Amino acid sequence: MRRGLLVLTLLAAPCGAQQIYDLLLKNGRVIDPKNQRNAVLDVAIAGGKIARVAQSIPAAHARVVVEAGDYYVTPGLIDIHAHFDAQGADLNLNPDHNALRFGVTTAVDAGSSGWKNFEAFKSNVIDKADTRLLAFLNIVGAGMYGAEVEDDVAQMDVDAAAAMARKYPEIIVGIKTAHYQPADWEAVDRAVKAAERSATVAMVDFHPKPGRGYRELILQHMRPGDIHTHFYGRLTPQLDAAKKVQPYMWEARKRGVLFDVGHGSGSFWFRIAAPAIQQGFLPDTISTDLHKDSVMLPRATLTNVMSKFLNLGMTLEQVIACVTANPARAIRRPELGALTEGGEADVAVLALDKGRFALLDSGHGKLTADKRIRCVLTVRAGKVVWDTEGLSLTDWKEAGPYSNFK
Amino acid sequence: MKYFPTFLFFAGLLSAQPYDLVLKGGHVIDPANSIDGVMDVAVTGDRIARVAAGIDAAGARKVLDVKGYYVTPGLIDLHAHECGYSGSIFPDDSALLAGTTTIVDAGGPGWRSFDDCKARVIDKAQTRVLVFLNIVGHGMLGPKIEDNVEDMDPQKTAAKIKENRDIIVGIKTAHFGRPGWAAIKNAIEAGRLADAPVMIDDKIFSNTGRTSREKLLDIMRPGDIQTHMFNDRQVEIVDRFTGKVQPYAVEARKRGVLFDLGHGAGSFLWPVASKAMAQGFPPDTISTDLHANSIMLPESDMPNCISKMMLLGMTLQDAIARSTVNPAKVIKRFPELGTLGEGRVADIAVFELREGVFAFKDAWHKKRLGSRKLECVLTVRGGKVAHDANGLGYPEWTSAGEYEVIE
Repeated sequence: MRRGLLVLTLLAAPCGAQQIYDLLLKNGRVIDPKNQRNAVLDVAIAGGKIARVAQSIPAAHARVVVEAGDYYVTPGLIDIHAHFDAQGADLNLNPDHNALRFGVTTAVDAGSSGWKNFEAFKSNVIDKADTRLLAFLNIVGAGMYGAEVEDDVAQMDVDAAAAMARKYPEIIVGIKTAHYQPADWEAVDRAVKAAERSATVAMVDFHPKPGRGYRELILQHMRPGDIHTHFYGRLTPQLDAAKKVQPYMWEARKRGVLFDVGHGSGSFWFRIAAPAIQQGFLPDTISTDLHKDSVMLPRATLTNVMSKFLNLGMTLEQVIACVTANPARAIRRPELGALTEGGEADVAVLALDKGRFALLDSGHGKLTADKRIRCVLTVRAGKVVWDTEGLSLTDWKEAGPYSNFK
Repeated sequence: MKYFPTFLFFAGLLSAQPYDLVLKGGHVIDPANSIDGVMDVAVTGDRIARVAAGIDAAGARKVLDVKGYYVTPGLIDLHAHECGYSGSIFPDDSALLAGTTTIVDAGGPGWRSFDDCKARVIDKAQTRVLVFLNIVGHGMLGPKIEDNVEDMDPQKTAAKIKENRDIIVGIKTAHFGRPGWAAIKNAIEAGRLADAPVMIDDKIFSNTGRTSREKLLDIMRPGDIQTHMFNDRQVEIVDRFTGKVQPYAVEARKRGVLFDLGHGAGSFLWPVASKAMAQGFPPDTISTDLHANSIMLPESDMPNCISKMMLLGMTLQDAIARSTVNPAKVIKRFPELGTLGEGRVADIAVFELREGVFAFKDAWHKKRLGSRKLECVLTVRGGKVAHDANGLGYPEWTSAGEYEVIE
């Protein structure tokens, strides 16, 4: 199949004459932290791959040219915490229109399924989605189906979870533990062990209990490279009474524990995030925890969540790094989250709107913002899948007879 | 003297029952009640309490300043896909965000699969989901199943409708690829048995042995709905050679056949729609055919469909009528739905009509620039704010203290 496509491409080449690129994004400000780019550059795409990133690539060399002078051009965004097992539990969403429309070309489902139902998720949703869907496998065999299964240690089979992760290394990037209420370390320790056995990372959603403290979690139970998600939430004590970032947060960061936003319906509060950011405790990765509740109020789409950090004082370059190069590194997929020549062409074209906007946190407190990030165009594997301003599309008057009508 | 305490008692009742929600200062467009002007809308519980200018909002639990916005009944999308079809999308995160509070699944499930759809999607959605039941028992599961005449049972279809009148509003036939009238006639027979309208999406090819003329003039009943009206293959509203609206389409409309937009990923084409609109042949109902594809590049959500109609010359008021009261009547749900009538369910949409340069895409991804774009900023479903893009109902975090989740 691959070879067939290659032959076709070669045959087609002479007909296209100079048009060696399928798509050319011209004059956008390219922010590509992995490749240390932050400059006005053109991005040329051919055969689903990034063909060239350079200044002044001739427009005549491309079949479709997008004038991106008003926009930022970034690697396709990576959301490492979302819930897209649409045929699974009730809270999950359909992936494509909740990811691609917001520039997200890679979304990681954070533990909606476990080893018992991951393969159903794969065949019902992952294999059919245009979005690149990856997964953290829940340490709970039955996945995220409520307290009854999620608090059941008997569901947490380290070997079975690790085996499933090893069976699908191209999709499963880690092991998730979440919502566990009993006051012991079983869920965390088993998730970490399964991650260790599958050479992946653990993502931890943590509810502290007497005898099971947050400090111990991030300093002792989690390994370097493991991810604490929801870290601006109200459950974990990241700030002291004076709103100062606790010393153990810095210490955990130094030893390599990663901190992920995982916004959701309960885990992002301006009164926690603002002082933490002011003191320089920024997220390693910005993610949505998008599901049926968080997608409505507080409308936690990735571009909205990014906009919150931008308005709380992070630079655009820092924000972009938290949704491209950083998450790619966190899930050990360094080939993603970058506009590297030869790599798969996942690209987001973002507008930075100026005006007056409202951004809500998980408690529905409002930040009146003067700038907002909005995705205007998304390229997934070389194909334009979202183009709200019609930048790549032909005007109907110039389209010729494109239906049965002249 | 004897009546005085009674009077006080009732006066006390009135002032003791403050509104739960008041939308203040918006331009209300409620075609069902001939309202088109600046008014307030008050909600108590899940019902519209009052629509009037200068409502006293003192004591209301929540007052939203919607000055500069348009306030309409929650939109009714007569043709979308929520379950039973592979491109289905769950409604809340597509419908409610667009001001659509009632969405009608157009033939995803048939009588065999309806209960499953109900349990998995309809009962779980915050959006009101209604259904045109597919005449095919297994529903919209691809050509093999949809061409199977054996699985088209008017009796069983009608029986399922009668058991579920609260949800099923009619019958759908779609994608029938074999020659002859079997699918359409079975659907209409089910419609006759259940006293319900039929929505038709029909392939007209040269070898089908069917014509649009015969279908629209002889076979469809008044009240039946031809969807995908601005397609160029399924029903030829505009003559492809002369560019004129077909006389039989005009005649069919006169006899009560209804024409629905059903935008989708193949059924709204600028060359067709602009000719029909220029000749005064608009859709009776504006609908999206929203599914996994049409929501992406064509962006066929309701505010976009309305904006496209406005680009082709329809007024906002007229477009709102064709997205509220008209579809409510088509599915025989008026006056319960599609109105801001006092005492009716509080399904409300608030829109901003933006001015600027906007690209609108047809189903074949050809763009046309327009100067006005309707965007939903707030949606109320059953009295509850489900979507609030501009945070109208919420306080600045810096002045709200150590708040819990603010309703």
